Amino acid sequence: MEKPRIGVYVCWCGNNIAKMVDVEGVAAEMMNIPNVVISKTYKYMCSDPGQDLIIKDIKENRLNRVVVSACSPRIHELTFRKALTKAGLNPYMLQMANIREHVSWVHTDKAEATSKSKALVAAAINRINFHVPLDERSVTIHPATLVIGGGITGITAALEIADAGKKVYLVENTDKLGGHAANVDLTFPYFTSVSQFMNPLIKRVHNHKNIDVFLNTEVKEISGYIGNFETMISYKDIERKIDFGNIIIASGLKAYDPSAIENYGYGIFPDVITSTEFEAMLKSGIILKKNGETPENIAIIHCVGSRNSNYHKYCSRVCCTVALKFANQLRSALPDSNIYELYSDMRSMSKGCEEMYTASSRRRIMFMMFDQKNGMPEIKNADKGDCCDMYVDVDELLSGESVRVPADMVILMTAMEGQDNARTTGQMAGISLDANRFYIEKHPKLDPVATTTNGVFIAGSCNSPKDFADCVSQARAASARVLSLISRGTVNIAVATAYINGVLCSGCKMCISVCPYTAIGFDEKKNVSVINDVLCQGCGTCVALCRSKAIDLNGCSTKQILSELSELLLKE
Amino acid sequence: MSEYKPKIIAFVCTWCTYAGADLAGTSRIKYASNVRLIRAPCTGRIDFMLLIKAFTMGADGIIVSGCHPNDCHYTSGNFHARRRWIIFRDLAKFTGIDVNRVMFSWVSAAEGARWAEIVNNFTDEIKKLGPYNSFRNLSATNFIEAVV
Repeated sequence: MEKPRIGVYVCWCGNNIAKMVDVEGVAAEMMNIPNVVISKTYKYMCSDPGQDLIIKDIKENRLNRVVVSACSPRIHELTFRKALTKAGLNPYMLQMANIREHVSWVHTDKAEATSKSKALVAAAINRINFHVPLDERSVTIHPATLVIGGGITGITAALEIADAGKKVYLVENTDKLGGHAANVDLTFPYFTSVSQFMNPLIKRVHNHKNIDVFLNTEVKEISGYIGNFETMISYKDIERKIDFGNIIIASGLKAYDPSAIENYGYGIFPDVITSTEFEAMLKSGIILKKNGETPENIAIIHCVGSRNSNYHKYCSRVCCTVALKFANQLRSALPDSNIYELYSDMRSMSKGCEEMYTASSRRRIMFMMFDQKNGMPEIKNADKGDCCDMYVDVDELLSGESVRVPADMVILMTAMEGQDNARTTGQMAGISLDANRFYIEKHPKLDPVATTTNGVFIAGSCNSPKDFADCVSQARAASARVLSLISRGTVNIAVATAYINGVLCSGCKMCISVCPYTAIGFDEKKNVSVINDVLCQGCGTCVALCRSKAIDLNGCSTKQILSELSELLLKE
Repeated sequence: MSEYKPKIIAFVCTWCTYAGADLAGTSRIKYASNVRLIRAPCTGRIDFMLLIKAFTMGADGIIVSGCHPNDCHYTSGNFHARRRWIIFRDLAKFTGIDVNRVMFSWVSAAEGARWAEIVNNFTDEIKKLGPYNSFRNLSATNFIEAVV
């Protein structure tokens, strides 16, 4: 093989790295390592000029290997691989050293951070000596799509793809389509009827020639990879195998059960109800207490289970505006009632919602602020003969006074949380959950509907609480991603796969039994195992298991690991 | 005399623990700077002979960390790693390798804080144990080199 000619690029990442790491010092020291031809720093390696710098150097200095020392490879490995391709180099002749997430952002001593950076970059340089060019393999994309979840997100995604002429399998685990949206009366901020737009959508899904709807159905297992997934669906007692190229998960969220919050006595006071229960009242058009009387005093409590470290730390994002919507609908339905909004911070941030908040204050709605951390309101029974059934005691933050709010009905704006089965669905599709049981997107800003698993997309509130508009946007975004893959027809994926040295293989077949992809077969004539590199996903389990050391892994070979180790341990 | 800085190697999978360590970074959670990560596709890839190699080369402590059970990107690699660890641990004890110098853990992509905590605790633990000279002396005889 050609003698390695390595280019080393140390990124400042503005001040993100340069503030904690002596980047010039790192770059200078790398010049002492054999095979390093060039070692430079640049303010932003990932920028166009940064990439052009690498491309120019590769061409002018006949570099055949590149080490980029910057942020996490999970963020920009692909960017730099593309730059290498542009320069005519195999994209796998790249190694990144992560000196931002793993160094400058987590350490506080500049000398230590610099020496760690030097060690990591040197290890990357040592490793890249053992890189070999890898081919990319092209896989065909099956034109059908599996959509999991029949709420507004799943419905929108299914229609978008089906309207483009492609097959969709829509799986819903309840007995009807529509999800939470189907139970909502009016939308905010313009008070339009949800059923007016949902019902035609649902009807269109059921009648669409390109959509197969499976109700009361759960996907049990998915096998395959981008372009080539399959699953067995049992629907109406018939088992059916379906093939598809991409998956959109739109499994949504569920309402938080507020019974755990003692202050609010949900389940004890009959007229303390959740926002979901009140929405059902609005939809039925009848707002009554449990005893059949009309409530005169209604208190709406925000942030129930949200923004509180005892329950969920995050903001559920839509409840403030829903609470405002409730107050406005109540004002119209019960013009003489007293309406109280007990909020902790008013977050009515979507388009038109701040205006709705301002308008609400002119409709005789009383706003009171409480401290979510130290001053959660408390609901108590009123005495016999009082003007109301309950009292809500609250330390009002803006006036600094303790206020006793009369209430005949209390509406709890409950938090929204990840589905109970989110984990099993995620495991099946090979995607991860965050600490709040919401799926993790590939990139929070730049790739919000993709996941780290190719061919698996997420949309809507299975990722975080969202309103209808955001769910619909994400559904359309995910379907655009899927349609683009379908129209391309094929996709290139890396061949970071395992391979067997037939001379060393003893034919013990242990590797066959551990492979999760049934990618290893057996050649009876030669008495050796054989890897099918279309099926192999490159996990390396067989490599570690092989007692004859006959298997190795492209992209993470034993030599590559040892070269990193020896640099990290023997040199320092 | 300068403070003893143990050499700690962490073999981590790219999908969970590497991402968890990235999250510790994005969340600016500070932790000890002794740890050096080696990124593998899956903990299933980690041959425990690599651990012996690392000790031979001078590691004082080793972390192996991947996805929580059932969260493996490759379905079952972490289970294989776990079984392998159970067997390795007994064998290591039998042969006299100090198993307290190996930490096997699960850290998900969402557990940046947990990653920092594990690194800090393990670094403290290894500081107490001191340099792994006994192993290094043994390996100086080239005995282990010859075996692995």
